[in-house]
Amino acid sequence: MLTHRKPGFARLLAVLAVLALIATACGDDAEEPTTTEAAAPQTTAAEAPEEDMPEEDMPEEDMPEEDMPMEPLRIAVVAPSASNDLAFTQSIVDAVNVIVAENPGTEVAITDGTFIVEDAAAAIRGYAEEGYDLVIAHGSQYGGSLQEIAGDFPDTAFAWGTSADTLGQPNVSAYTAASDQGGFVMGVVAAALSQSSVIGVVGPIEVGDAKLYVDGFHNGAVATGPDVTVLINYIGSFSDVALASEAAQAHIAAGADVLTGSAQMVVGAVGVAQTAGALWFGTQANQTALAPDLVVASQVYKWEVVLRQIIADISAGSLGGKAYEINLANGGLVIEFNDGFNLPTEVRAGADIVISGIVSGAINTMEAMAAPPAPMEPLRIAVVAPSASNDLAFTQSIVDAVNVIVAEQPGTEVAITDGTFIVEDAAAAIRGYAEEGYDLVIAHGSQYGGSLQEIAGDFPDTAFAWGTSADTLGQPNVSAYTAASDQGGFVMGVVAAALSQSSVIGVVGPIEVGDAKLYVDGFHNGAVATGPDVTVLINYIGSFSDVALASEAAQAHIAAGADVLTGSAQMVVGAVGVAQTAGALWFGTQANQTALAPDLVVASQVYKWEVVLRQIIADISAGSLGGKAYEINLANGGLVLEPNPAFDIPPEMFAGINEVIQGIITGAIDTGAN
Amino acid sequence: MADIFSATVIVATLSSGIRLAVPLLLASLGEAFGQRSGVLNLGVDGIMLLGAFGGYFTTLKTQSPWLGLAVGLGVGLVLGLLSSVISVSLLAEQGISGIGVYLFGLGMSDLLFQKLVGTPLPAASFQKSPIPFLSEIPVVGDLFFNHSIPIYLAFLAIPVSTVIINRTRFGMNIRAVGENPEAADSQGISVTRVRYAAVTIGGILAGAAGAVLAIGLGIFQQNLTNAQGFIAIALVYFGAWRPLGVMAGSLVYGMVSAVVLLLKTRGIIPLGASDLAAMIPAVITVLALVVAARRFRAPTALTKPFIRGG
Repeated sequence: MLTHRKPGFARLLAVLAVLALIATACGDDAEEPTTTEAAAPQTTAAEAPEEDMPEEDMPEEDMPEEDMPMEPLRIAVVAPSASNDLAFTQSIVDAVNVIVAENPGTEVAITDGTFIVEDAAAAIRGYAEEGYDLVIAHGSQYGGSLQEIAGDFPDTAFAWGTSADTLGQPNVSAYTAASDQGGFVMGVVAAALSQSSVIGVVGPIEVGDAKLYVDGFHNGAVATGPDVTVLINYIGSFSDVALASEAAQAHIAAGADVLTGSAQMVVGAVGVAQTAGALWFGTQANQTALAPDLVVASQVYKWEVVLRQIIADISAGSLGGKAYEINLANGGLVIEFNDGFNLPTEVRAGADIVISGIVSGAINTMEAMAAPPAPMEPLRIAVVAPSASNDLAFTQSIVDAVNVIVAEQPGTEVAITDGTFIVEDAAAAIRGYAEEGYDLVIAHGSQYGGSLQEIAGDFPDTAFAWGTSADTLGQPNVSAYTAASDQGGFVMGVVAAALSQSSVIGVVGPIEVGDAKLYVDGFHNGAVATGPDVTVLINYIGSFSDVALASEAAQAHIAAGADVLTGSAQMVVGAVGVAQTAGALWFGTQANQTALAPDLVVASQVYKWEVVLRQIIADISAGSLGGKAYEINLANGGLVLEPNPAFDIPPEMFAGINEVIQGIITGAIDTGAN
Repeated sequence: MADIFSATVIVATLSSGIRLAVPLLLASLGEAFGQRSGVLNLGVDGIMLLGAFGGYFTTLKTQSPWLGLAVGLGVGLVLGLLSSVISVSLLAEQGISGIGVYLFGLGMSDLLFQKLVGTPLPAASFQKSPIPFLSEIPVVGDLFFNHSIPIYLAFLAIPVSTVIINRTRFGMNIRAVGENPEAADSQGISVTRVRYAAVTIGGILAGAAGAVLAIGLGIFQQNLTNAQGFIAIALVYFGAWRPLGVMAGSLVYGMVSAVVLLLKTRGIIPLGASDLAAMIPAVITVLALVVAARRFRAPTALTKPFIRGG
């Protein structure tokens, strides 16, 4: 749940919002989900017996699940993409078709393409009202809606995935895929087949089964030896096929000869593999059809394994409350090798050994990766931030982070007040949220510290987070958070110096404080570390909001011979425009700024505040409301360098870039900023 | 760095100053029309913001900066009329009502931006239009005759406005209702009509200022003008309510800003003094104009609503 509020003139805006909604109403009608009644075989005769099965009719134990006779049910599926997406949605559609084949008389209705959560919620509610016995909400994003709906229909069984959380409802079953297991196996095979020892991964967003798959694949590949490089690019979208394609191109340009990827947008990446002759590993569904010569194997989800259990439970009178998993051991995950690909027998044999190792527990697929986040109670979180939620900079970084938390923790409630560049408005919003009983109130702006000090004392039972700052204000209920933005700055400074023809680089800063100063210092030091002939011109314009002045500062850099520019804070949108016009390269920070100059943005340092938010929320769940300072950095994954897939960084530079990143992580390189 | 006095750097810096000056120039020129007629419009920044969004959004959707500029002018016209209704017909307290227009523009432009655009997208900008022959003169040509057409038009508006205010019957009426509306009224001049016209001209020019700013940058953002509308109002006072005065003030402000940027870029102003240096343009502009404008005085009826027989 996202509520947006504006400070100060809220009432005025409420009236205006009506006008604006009228204006935008016509823009929202393009995407209607398609409802396919009975896309699966459907028998029309006198089936569909009533669902209320007397409990004593059904022996609960003593019988293996497969053999348990099941009454044909009416099953409905609501899923975000197309039924034949060769990925996430197809996996559940295939599964219900298996159930139908096993249980003639089962009636199935499918609503696919509901990537708009409100549409999915309407479909889920509709099926429940129509008396379907089992309504499957196939998308972790549907959790919030399902929580409400499940309570209204206590006699209907719901299933929700991928999630391990039954939402506290007795009639909701949760299901997940241990996709890291198949990922690990395929990672091992991929490393064995790669000639260049460079493997590229195209992911959507770093959550759910996609993250599990990517982590498992990475760990499997690097487990084969230290010389394997796995390049991972989460493109930030489940649906952007073009971007997935460009990300695959970038991997190929970096020397990758084996690719993989998760989620429905990878069809674009498979096409790139096909063109470049690179091998492909699929997941979620069998993707052999997309590139018959080059798909080595696919990890296929057999949701029917959990559906059988859920249906058996329903027949036994239990409508939910349990969490299920498909994995290699229970046959819910199957590695389907492509018969059209000539896999060396010893590699195939090795894969089978790895599979048995995972099934027996001898191999830990999560080795070498950070521990998965501890289970957290869904909280009510409020954010107060100075600029617009989509400023492609400071405010967007925290809004994106709470959205990740919401995706990970369905049930989390979020309220955002953005645009409070006037500190008094921010203070009123912070106090308001504390009064309304929010569990965690995030004051996202170093300028809010003075106000927060007062407010935090008045609400000792509310947890506050304040950034960017390393100072908890001496309050036991304030957490502080900072970004070691000098680290990414240093790396990008090195790259900038390498790409500059003129060896003159221009930096546009706001005011010489906080993470902006760290970034500028790190960038400067990285650039001059490459050689004595590099000149870095730095201009702090004295404002976080003066777009015109930022633009002119960039012009001044260009006039001084700069052909590479960077800058920090939300006013740099003006400077990026200048880079675009002058054909200068641009390095972004705080958020991915590729959209502002798609040809000229080389890379962006992206803040992943979710890394500290997870820690803060875990602490709150453990009873500690604050008093600690947190940091995002390259080592903990809170800072990520996202290259622009459309910009061709010379492949020979990648090794050097990785060396710098590793050097910073290990401490061998000092960014020189403080 | 010795090359700071090279022709290229000087031209680039002064061109930068001109670009920074133009939105201020248009907005303060418009405000001067209104104030000469006796109406203080504090809503300039709000009108600029809505003109900026209208211009940006139209350009983004049509790829035509000229259509964008036209929409910016149209937005200014509507808001100028609205300001006239509030100040002239409804006789609102001018020191307060303009703030309402400002807050409306600030909130509305951001709301529309969030609803209609969301994440900032780059839009087309005006092309430079070098003036034949003149632009080929060394240094001077590049400096004065190698800009986009709206910048030429903005400077052309200064002599045109001077002539309108000083040499036409309409201009004389503006000055009359600003100095002594009762006397003007007794001469058969419609104070209401003249003030409507003057304030609406101010609105159109403020809308143009916003549109030129946004389209020139090719981007929009919440509070894009960054309070330039208020600087423009100050420039009207210090520019002694004369077109040439506000032009001089705008140029001083823009030029000093550009020079400060240059000095920072070249490291001549040390990093530690960056924030202090940010206030130099305002300080120098105020000093320069206070000295120059000492002998002028404000229109007598400024901020005073006219009530016939009142």
